Amino acid sequence: MNCQEVVAAELNNTSLAQLIPKSKILVVGAGGIGCEILKNLCLSGFQDVEIIDLDTIDVSNLNRQFLFRKEHVGKPKAVVARESVMTFTSNMKIKAYHDSIFNQEYGINFFKRFKLVLNALDNRSARNHVNRMCLAADVPLVESGTAGYSGQVELIKKGLTQCYECQPKPQQRSFPGCTIRNTPSEPVHCIVWAKHLFNQLFGEDDPDQDVSPDTEDPELKKDGEFSTTHTGDVQRKSTRQWAEEINYEPEKLFNKFFKDDINYLLSMENLWKTRKAPTPLSWEESHLCVSNISEEDISTSIDMRILSLQKCAEIFSDTVTTLKKQLVNRKFLVWDKDDKPAMDFVAACANIRAHIFSIPQKSRFAVKSIAGNIIPAIATANALIAGLVVLYAFRVLKNELNKCPTIYLRQKSVYSKVLLAADNSLQSPNPNCYVCSSKPVVDVFVNVFKMTLNEFENEILKNTLNMVAPDAILDGKGVVVISSEEGETQINNNKKLNEVGIIDGSILKVDDFLQNYELTVNINHYEAKEKDDPPFKFVANPSDLKTKQENGVNNGVNVSTDSYTTQQSSDDDDVVTCTTEDYDYEASSSKRRKMNPPEDEDDLIIVEDVIN
Amino acid sequence: MTEKQLSTDEAELYDRQIRLWGIESQERLRAADVLLIGVRGLGSEIAKNIILAGINSLTILDDGEVTQEDLRQNFLLQEKIPLGNKIAEEVLPRAQALNPLVKLTGDTEPVAAKTSDYFKKFTMVVATRIKFDAIIKIDNYCREHNVKFLYGDIFGFFGFAVSDLQEHDYFEDRVQLQSGQKRGHDGEKKTIKVEAKMTFPPLNKVLILPNTKQDINAIKKMSRPNNLFVALLVLLEFRRQHDRDPAAAKMSEDVDTLKSISSQIVELYNFSNIQMDDLYELFFGDISPVCAVLGGVMAQEVIKAVSHKEPPINNIFLFDPVSYSGKELTVGP
Repeated sequence: MNCQEVVAAELNNTSLAQLIPKSKILVVGAGGIGCEILKNLCLSGFQDVEIIDLDTIDVSNLNRQFLFRKEHVGKPKAVVARESVMTFTSNMKIKAYHDSIFNQEYGINFFKRFKLVLNALDNRSARNHVNRMCLAADVPLVESGTAGYSGQVELIKKGLTQCYECQPKPQQRSFPGCTIRNTPSEPVHCIVWAKHLFNQLFGEDDPDQDVSPDTEDPELKKDGEFSTTHTGDVQRKSTRQWAEEINYEPEKLFNKFFKDDINYLLSMENLWKTRKAPTPLSWEESHLCVSNISEEDISTSIDMRILSLQKCAEIFSDTVTTLKKQLVNRKFLVWDKDDKPAMDFVAACANIRAHIFSIPQKSRFAVKSIAGNIIPAIATANALIAGLVVLYAFRVLKNELNKCPTIYLRQKSVYSKVLLAADNSLQSPNPNCYVCSSKPVVDVFVNVFKMTLNEFENEILKNTLNMVAPDAILDGKGVVVISSEEGETQINNNKKLNEVGIIDGSILKVDDFLQNYELTVNINHYEAKEKDDPPFKFVANPSDLKTKQENGVNNGVNVSTDSYTTQQSSDDDDVVTCTTEDYDYEASSSKRRKMNPPEDEDDLIIVEDVIN
Repeated sequence: MTEKQLSTDEAELYDRQIRLWGIESQERLRAADVLLIGVRGLGSEIAKNIILAGINSLTILDDGEVTQEDLRQNFLLQEKIPLGNKIAEEVLPRAQALNPLVKLTGDTEPVAAKTSDYFKKFTMVVATRIKFDAIIKIDNYCREHNVKFLYGDIFGFFGFAVSDLQEHDYFEDRVQLQSGQKRGHDGEKKTIKVEAKMTFPPLNKVLILPNTKQDINAIKKMSRPNNLFVALLVLLEFRRQHDRDPAAAKMSEDVDTLKSISSQIVELYNFSNIQMDDLYELFFGDISPVCAVLGGVMAQEVIKAVSHKEPPINNIFLFDPVSYSGKELTVGP
């Protein structure tokens, strides 16, 4: 028997066996799911596969990304995955790209070369981008993800199914600046503050990451006590400048952030009328604090222990000294959870601040989870999901697209008999989707007198609406306000929106050439009033907008964003896309369920969220 | 295992899973000695997943030889291995490369040669591609020594797993919001540890085939007869009668045989409304991605069973070859 006959016999399907060897497949991502997909494709007789991944191999990948070994740490994932698969087959042609899928080289024509694209990604923005590329190239896409025990596989095909962006996804958790700077109440607030402190002292300058007391806190305005300053902060030198002047002396830094700044906060009496006031901690005092947990308790590793303040202060001092040395000859450091001094610094500072505000302290292991936005990942769930991805690939090749409804992998519970739940049918596209509908429209709410064009391009068009290289034309006037050509509209960068004629009621025609994506943006002037209001927001669905305007625009915004996110982007594998699991997103998932109940209604359960 | 605490290297290697199931589970995994019977398509998937998870030792028992089919279907084999070599030995180098910390042993003796004492040294036994008599026999041996047992197989697009964890204690973490906080808000969550117990029946009271002197009345009548449970029994009976699995080369003949066996099973169980006509043709072939799905499910059951964390599947898992959904079915006295 030749190879094709063997495959035919194994698959028990002659037509599929003919299709498989000649179908060119793109796998986007060579992580946990990508490695498994590549193996399944190989064992199923696929012969023409390309795989792309930007990432390199880390030790913490090795518990599941089985094509990699310890000696591969630091090498490009796509390249090693290819080499590893080639050792158990020589019949397969695999092309590996160690590159970003956002790169302009991978345009519509690149995507059109494939019969099918299989996503094995770890972050939402790349998923959004591949979604748009596959819609533009009209190539079917099998999208997948896992988080811990859970996961999901879905088919995306233009005009037939929902696209990846048809339903708004839960927003990454974010916090108002004054909660971080003035009134933390949870460990996560202290961890975000500690990361900001790292960036203020050693990282790239970001004015949104100030760590000093915020005198513009709306809570202070109530009796006008601190409301007089125009700039918001009692402006001094930048933290960085000052730190350099004192040569990063740990004792002085410690006293400023944990004693003087706290004393200043205490002077804002309004803040402490309804909450417990913080207790300043000086360098000297920190050395007198006796741990309530025995340091001698060595049955758990140091990573798992909650350390005494004295130990935290010691770590603070040591890491400041180490990081200061790392900064020599470099402009700034980039915080990385896997960089030991950087991680130790954040864990120590977060715990000292937590102590000051009477917030429970956490082990370094737990702080790392939150600070690094680590999503747990296991081999079994990835293997299982990748198996389903390739089973769906078979169906797509046989043109049985309607037999590929979304499948959810759920954590087994005593209340549920369903481990793998398949929808009954495909989800139809959302006619108002701001990506895949025929005339996509969004309403953006923004302060047109405060936001600059540069912020509009970066924070709204790129970070929020996920464009790569947008051009924007002011409708009616035909003026190009943002251009993807370098330098063409640079002159506008620091102008406020109103200064180039973008005001309430303006319409922008935005076009991303790479994604072949055109979007109409309706501008609405909006001013953040309450403490928790985001600096801007957007509504994708015109009918949502109508009902919301009746209730006042401030409620029920689909997606909002601000600068205080704990997670700029997840840097780990396999972020979930599992809408049934995310409770931030209950509205849309329950809607989904009603639209498309799984076959056994009685088996339906609400899974307790353990992911967030 | 003497040293209880995980080393720094282990903590780093297993970081992403420790964040899911905790240090204690990882330490229990590291103390587990597992026997895997059968290392073909499904077996190699299970082996990969539990070796990656970091058990103490894995013994691979398979008396078979490397075939042409294995070379293409088994990613644990190097491409250039001579046909006819013992597969249990040939998979070891690649299996070891998955995780150097796990102690691996290949055993090329036939399962039938193993006596009760052989099973004593294991924490758990996982079997694939064995016949009905062997399932019942191994389950009995495991029960004699308090060893947990999991059996599973795939036939074409269909897959299933059956477990006998006997008296099984486990715990799970339930996440609760502190009182007075709304769901979805930034409330501090509290994790509580809940302990529970499950009792599994022996497999000769779960899998009952015609003409075996087994007591069909021992099984509780099912509220809803399940096509896929019938399919499981039909395929076990086919293998028992013919000493092989349904083969694509003899499809029409084998489908007829399967149909006649299924009417026997339906009669034995006194089932009604069993509609399997669409399924028979899906029982042929050896489909790698189905091995991956079932291998993921079975390995996760091993991890749950030896770490005593999370509720296990009680006691049958059935993977639907049409909808690709997967459900638990509880069968027994």
